[in-house]
Amino acid sequence: MSKAARLEHRRQRQAEALRKARLAQQRRRMALAAAAVATVLVIIGGLVIVKLTAGGAGPAVADTAPASPISDGVLDAVKNVPAAMFDQVGLGAVDTLPKAISGQPALTADGKPLVVYIGAEYCPYCAAQRWGLAVALSRFGTFTGLGETKSSTIDAFPGTATLSFHGATYTSQYLAFQGVETFSNVRQGDGYAPLDTPTDAQNQLMKTYNAPPYVSSDAAGGIPFLDIANKYLMQGASYSPEVLQGKPGIDIAGLLSNPDDPVAKAILGSANAFTAALCQATGGQPGEICTSSAVTAYQAKLHG
Amino acid sequence: MADRSTPAWARTATLALSVAGLAVSVYLTVDHFTTRSVLACPATASVNCAKVTTSAYASMLGIPVALYGLAFFVAMVALTLPYAWRDPRLRTVRLGAAVVGVAFVVYLVGAELFGVGAICLWCTAVHVITVAIFAVLAFAVALERP
Repeated sequence: MSKAARLEHRRQRQAEALRKARLAQQRRRMALAAAAVATVLVIIGGLVIVKLTAGGAGPAVADTAPASPISDGVLDAVKNVPAAMFDQVGLGAVDTLPKAISGQPALTADGKPLVVYIGAEYCPYCAAQRWGLAVALSRFGTFTGLGETKSSTIDAFPGTATLSFHGATYTSQYLAFQGVETFSNVRQGDGYAPLDTPTDAQNQLMKTYNAPPYVSSDAAGGIPFLDIANKYLMQGASYSPEVLQGKPGIDIAGLLSNPDDPVAKAILGSANAFTAALCQATGGQPGEICTSSAVTAYQAKLHG
Repeated sequence: MADRSTPAWARTATLALSVAGLAVSVYLTVDHFTTRSVLACPATASVNCAKVTTSAYASMLGIPVALYGLAFFVAMVALTLPYAWRDPRLRTVRLGAAVVGVAFVVYLVGAELFGVGAICLWCTAVHVITVAIFAVLAFAVALERP
């Protein structure tokens, strides 16, 4: 073989070696890319599989027990909020207020303005709403038989600690109250176990006032629903349950004594709003509550 | 000078996917800011409360998640336009953005499945597009001619 031929042959071998090296490098890079993509798909697929298999076995709910009787500590905190605390919190941190309506027939029971609450124990927004409502109503009367529970642990704001109106009675010289918890937080089939059955009158309130024109058609029937003597309506929670997340009921109750805490601002702020509305229903009675600074401030906002 | 190291199909695919992702992100952003946030559950106990309201996972560090997605796809469209492929320095930025996007997708899928407990179909479309962009870029980098 001539020298030129040998050089050409060597050049071709070098070129072939280089080509093979590049191919090998490209195969390694393709494998790395495939591994990266496969890893992402496996992680996402794994999350889906874990969810499907966990969902089939039923939710891992530690709090499926029905509501328990309210503890002394929580009850004391709910019914004995010092008057000065309400004024210190003032407007608090409230996102939604009761809506004033007019021209409707008076809603009464036993000759007193009637307040109707319709919710459910699984509902996280009902969980938020009950605290302020119970505190406000405790300024006008006395609850017995309140319960403590948590909202559904498989829904938004899972396991929000709260009270329950199921089985509770309310006595007051100023107001009547009907609290309806339609479902518990215990899973049953695709939903939750039923609790209280609304009366025909309560169902009629829902059909009339928890529907257009008072709420949008896509929100009709939503809970919690509150009717204060057909003078104020409210659907939904006064504030987001997020502020209560991760806190046991006793801790939430304890925070009501700190006017700067977000929990107190939300619960006592909403209680002040409800109190302002309740005072309108009771004709300003009891006077010392209905003329307090926080209630006066909210009365201006409710009709502003 | 046109970039000839990245396969043409990859350049076209990533741009098309980024534009599609941007369109869906715009819709999700508009929907987030125009949908009334209702703090209520449906009366029927069989429906997830999160489906009718804004989930707690809809924002991060006080910023709506929809805005993060919008920013991501605006950046990806910019990074996959023809002029961007001519700058070799953007190769790492492009791939890095896709990696960040995929990490976010994994977090959001986990939040949907285990936090909210409900799947948002439009969000899933965004997630699929993001993973597809990452896949195309990963293989495109592997196939690049030196």
